[in-house]
Order: sequence, then structure tokens, then C-alpha cells
Amino acid sequence: MRTLAVARAMLLALWRDRGALLLGFLIPVVFFVIFAEVVVGAAGGDLRLRLVVVDEVASEESGKLLATLAALPSVRSIDTAGNRNAARERVRRGTADAGLVIRADGEPLTSAGGFGRPPLLLLGDPARAVIADVLAGMLQRAYFGALPDVPLRNAVELVGSQFTEFSATQEEEIDEGLASLRRAAAAGAQVGWSFEDLLEREQVAGRSAAQNQVAYYAGAIAFMFLLLAAAQGAQTLIDEIENGIVERVAATAGGAAVVISGKFVYLVGQGLVQATLIFLAAWLVYGVDLPALWLPWLLVTVCSAIAAAGIGLALVAVSGTRGRAQAMPLVVVVMFSAVGGSMVPRFLMPGWLQDVGWLTPNTWALEAYSGVFWRDASTPELLLPCILLLGVGLLTWLVAQHSLRRLIDD
Amino acid sequence: MAAPEAPLLEVRGACRRFGERAALDGLDLAARPGELLALLGPNGAGKTTLLRAICGRLALDQGSISVGGRDPRRDPAARALVGLVPQAIALYGGLSVRANLAIFARLSGVSGRRVATAVDAALAWSGLRERADDAVRELSGGMQRRVNIAAGTLHEPALLLLDEPTVGLDPSVRGAIHEVLRSLRQRGMAIVMTTHDLHEAGDLADRVAFVTGGRVRAEGVPAALVGEVFAGASEVRLLLREPPGPALTGVLARAGLLGTGQARLWVGALAGGMGELGALRELLDHADVPVAELRLREPGLDSVFLRLTGQALR
Repeated sequence: MRTLAVARAMLLALWRDRGALLLGFLIPVVFFVIFAEVVVGAAGGDLRLRLVVVDEVASEESGKLLATLAALPSVRSIDTAGNRNAARERVRRGTADAGLVIRADGEPLTSAGGFGRPPLLLLGDPARAVIADVLAGMLQRAYFGALPDVPLRNAVELVGSQFTEFSATQEEEIDEGLASLRRAAAAGAQVGWSFEDLLEREQVAGRSAAQNQVAYYAGAIAFMFLLLAAAQGAQTLIDEIENGIVERVAATAGGAAVVISGKFVYLVGQGLVQATLIFLAAWLVYGVDLPALWLPWLLVTVCSAIAAAGIGLALVAVSGTRGRAQAMPLVVVVMFSAVGGSMVPRFLMPGWLQDVGWLTPNTWALEAYSGVFWRDASTPELLLPCILLLGVGLLTWLVAQHSLRRLIDD
Repeated sequence: MAAPEAPLLEVRGACRRFGERAALDGLDLAARPGELLALLGPNGAGKTTLLRAICGRLALDQGSISVGGRDPRRDPAARALVGLVPQAIALYGGLSVRANLAIFARLSGVSGRRVATAVDAALAWSGLRERADDAVRELSGGMQRRVNIAAGTLHEPALLLLDEPTVGLDPSVRGAIHEVLRSLRQRGMAIVMTTHDLHEAGDLADRVAFVTGGRVRAEGVPAALVGEVFAGASEVRLLLREPPGPALTGVLARAGLLGTGQARLWVGALAGGMGELGALRELLDHADVPVAELRLREPGLDSVFLRLTGQALR
């Protein structure tokens, strides 16, 4: 009975602490859903691509190929661009996952490939190399679905013209063999030549996939740790409320506002140093081109540090008590980071989660850093995420000020 | 004869409610430069609420507070005249004494080279010079209290507010803190401190104010207050073995004794000394009052507080 009495006391305490209830029972479920979606997305279970296509040929075959491609379950959407540069721009900006050009200056789609300019130009982002491979696979499937007889016929003609002149008997045997191969191809079997000969790949941004992936993770990790460190640093607010320092400062001519403002300035400085160290490592160890892009990087980093400082302070000030201030900010930061792309690249997430990601500052910071290091974005392109980061930083600073007043005023 | 100096702090009719509870209920108070005023009262009497209102941290529902003729709630210049020493050790424990004092000097509005001067001066008068570079958390409780007080005085406030500055300290450390407060008073500061300790208030304060229920019940110079309430009489204290019933309560009231918050403790004033005490004893025995202890004593502030409020403070 005594054991039950202790258990009952804990149950009653938990019931009275709604924050702990939320942390204990609701948040784990939310986390599970997020990570399950991310893992499913990353494993390809729901990797659906947004494609941009340019059909310069506009033939019956190209139309068939695109129609078959559009019908594949892995294609989320297909937009048509006016020309190659427009398609490149869409991929560079990240509004399309990859691009496909059926080029007029290449061999016809019905050619065997391997002896001229390939008919298909695949536009990919080097930091999303996996997407280009996925698209190549999808194209192969669409090609053989749309034009199953063409590559087989081409192969026979190639053999006939390059190696030997077929006798009438051989022609018959070849026709039979072709029919057999056609059936095999229709069944999805290998037909002995490389589809890759029909493809040319082009990277539309950055210097190398490795560098851009490093730049992505530098931004992703930097912002997540900016948030974590800001939330951790802001914990001193609770200490200073409890030990009377805030009360003492509030009684001075400057009032309690200087407590939040002082911590805000410190946390912004701390964030700048953290981000600088991470990107210095990315530059020195992995060759991310920080020296050439230091100015837009600094703009994004200052905005990110301001956002992280404000968010950290607001989370702690809104928490109010030590117990909540230790748990709630951590949960929020981890959720922001999971959904916002700091833990798993956004393009691997299902579409709905990518959309939800736009509600998190991590996504704004990542988009801004992506703009700097992948897409050679101009300053106006960086403005939107930077304004969002600055805005949320200042708004949360105000929330922190208001919450502190609420905490220390009766 | 010189006219008394104008009050630096004036509180008039201060009212502040928290829901149904009146924390301040028409409280009046004044403190002059160079004066140490002790606020005495039980927990929940409104002392800390009053200090917060004087700092401008709390809006009054009614009444007014002025520091140096200005409203501290609205005017930062009035708040700049005030130094606050919270009850808690409101310091950065991991930082040195000197670093703490420098930080709080800047927060209090001291700037430039005057910071170092103010810190050195505070280290000197508080007797902390030898420990200036030690972390605050390494100091004894008494020394931490001294740093706590010093941190509230770096901008040379005209009015220093202290919330229970000696709570939990042993008598020798308390004496050292008293010396610090006396030296600050000699420098012309008006000092208002809250305390539960009636003996401390009697020894240290120029004036005391009894606060209960959000009001000042009595205030004045300690000896004068005792004289005013007891008029030269002695205090008699009667401790019963058990709480009295209605009949005995009537007997005790007719004997001139007043009930207190404790059912077994009754108090009164006897002008006639031991002779009158003997007569009282006879009266009580005759009525079969279960006397555990009956004694005559010189009245002090605790006696005044008990008679005025019916509550024992300590």
C-alpha cells in the first residue's frame, strides 16, 4: 500500500503538471510520426519528384515518353519550361527537384545512343545526387514503357550495318529473336545495352556535390546548434529570477528590460561565433567556398543568430519554471530541426512535411544558406528568408520581454 | 532649532490588492536622509510588497509614493535614487566579488572610470578587500550578505531598501552587518529594512513601523513607542497550561489581560510592580485559572507589537 501511495502521489503530480503530461505522452507520438515520415521518405517509400521538362523535339515519341513519365507514381508534378535556361533556373532555385530536356540538337529519341549527342539532358542539383539517379531510373522505365520496340530495332540495325549482312534465314531468325526480346523487354528484362548512353547529366549549381552537401549540413547543423545553445544560454534567466538578480536589476532605472536585451546581445554574439567556427571547418576541411561568399554568408548568419537568440529566450521565458524551461525548449528545438531539415535533408521528406517545414526557422535558414552556397543566389533572393529570420528574432525578443514582465510582476 | 529634513520617501494611502487580498491597505510611511527605518511585521503583512512598490515595480490601486519628490513607477530618475538589497543572495556565484560589484555598478547606472572607484570604495567599507578576487560562492554566508548589500549601494543611492538583510545569520555575523548599515546611515543614506527581529530593530533602527494587514499600526522611535504604549508600566505575561474556556476568558479579561494569537498566552500591563503581580496571582488562583507561568518583565518592542496586534512576532 505504501508503494501505491508513492505511485499515486506521482500520478497526481503529473496530472497537475500539464507541461509534463504533454512532454510525456503527446510529444513522443508527434516525434514518432515525424521521424517515421522522414525515414519512409528517405528510404524512397514516398519520394515523389517535382520535375520541370523542356520538349524541344515535340515529336510523337517525346510526347509518349513524357506522358508515360507523368503517369509514374514517383512523379509528384511535371511542369513545362519554355527553354533550357528556364528549367535550369527552376532546379537552381529548388522549385523543381530535377529537370529533363528532350533536346533538338541531340540524336533522335529512336537512336541507339552512344555515337552522338544524347537526346536526353538531365538537369540535377549536385547536392541531391540521389534525385538524378532516381530520375534516370524513372526515365528508363518510362522509355521502355513508351517506346519498347525502338531500342530493340535500333540494336538489330546496328548489328546489321556494323558487323555482318544478314541472310534471309538470319533475318527471319532475327525477327523471331527481336519478337522474343520485345516480349522480354515488355516484361522488364535487361536487353543488353545501356540506357545511360541516351542520357547526359548536367549540374546546374555549385562546384561539386560533396561541397554542396557539406554546405547544406554546415547550415543545418549550425542553425540547430544555434537554437540549442541559445535555449541553453537563456536558462540563466531562470537562475537569475530565482536568485533575485532580475528583481535587483528590475529595481534600477533601466528596469528588467535590460536583462532580456543583455542576454539577447550575448546570445547573438555566441551564435555568430558558433556559426563561424562551423563554416570555417567546412571551408578549411571540405573546401566550401566561404572566402568568396563571405558577405552573403555573414548576412544570413547574423539573421540566423538573431532568430536563434530570440527563440531561445522566448522559449525559456514562456516556460517560466525551471522544470519546463529544461524540457520544453529542447522539445521545440528538436522538432524544428527534424521538420525543418536540420537532421534529414528536406528533399528526402514527403511533400507535406516539406510544406510544414516552411513553418520552422530552420527551413528559412537552410534556404538562405542554400541560396548562398548552392544556387549563387542574388541578394534579393536571400531577402525573404533573411527578413523572416529577422522578424521572428525580433518578435520572439518581444515575447521574451513580455513573458519576463509577466513572471516577475504580480 | 533646525526644521526636520524633508522626507526622501513618502508613501501616502498606498493600496494594492491581489484578487481578494489587500497586500497594502492605506499604508502611510516616510523616511528621511540619514535615518534607518525598520519595518516590522509577520509574513504576509505587506512589507515586501511595499518595498517593490517603492522600487516602482508595482502599480498601486490607490495612493502615492514619491522618492525625492518623484514617482518611481513613472520616473527612472526616482528609481535611480533607490538601491535594493533583495533577501536572496542576488549575485553571480561563479564570478569574483570584484566582477559582481563591477557588473551591478554598471547596471545601476555607474559608468566609465567611476565603476572602478565605486567598486574599490565598496570593497573598503564592506571589509571585503582581501576577498575581492574570490568567487562569491566560496565566501561564508555573512560575507555573501555583505557583498549583497554592497551591490545595492554602488551608485550611492539616496534610499537603500533591504529585505531581511540578516535573516538566518548567527549573532556575530549579524553584528557585522549592523556595523555596515550604521556606516551607510552615517553617510546620509535613508535606509528602510524589513525584519522579523524585534531586538535587531530596537538596537539598530532610528524608527520602527509595525506593519500588519497592509497598514502601519504604529510607528516611532523604539523607546518612545514602548513608553507610549506602556507609560512606565511593566509587562505581565501569563502562560496557561491549557486554553481557557468562556468562563475563564471572562476572568482574564476582567483582570486586564489581553488575548494573543496563541490561546495559552495572555499579556497585560502592570503599573504597580511586584505587589500588583501578587494580587493578580491571588485573583487567578481564586478563579482556578490553570497558570503555567506568570512573569513580570520590562516591556520591549515585542511587547508593543503583541499589545497592538495581538500577535507575537517571534
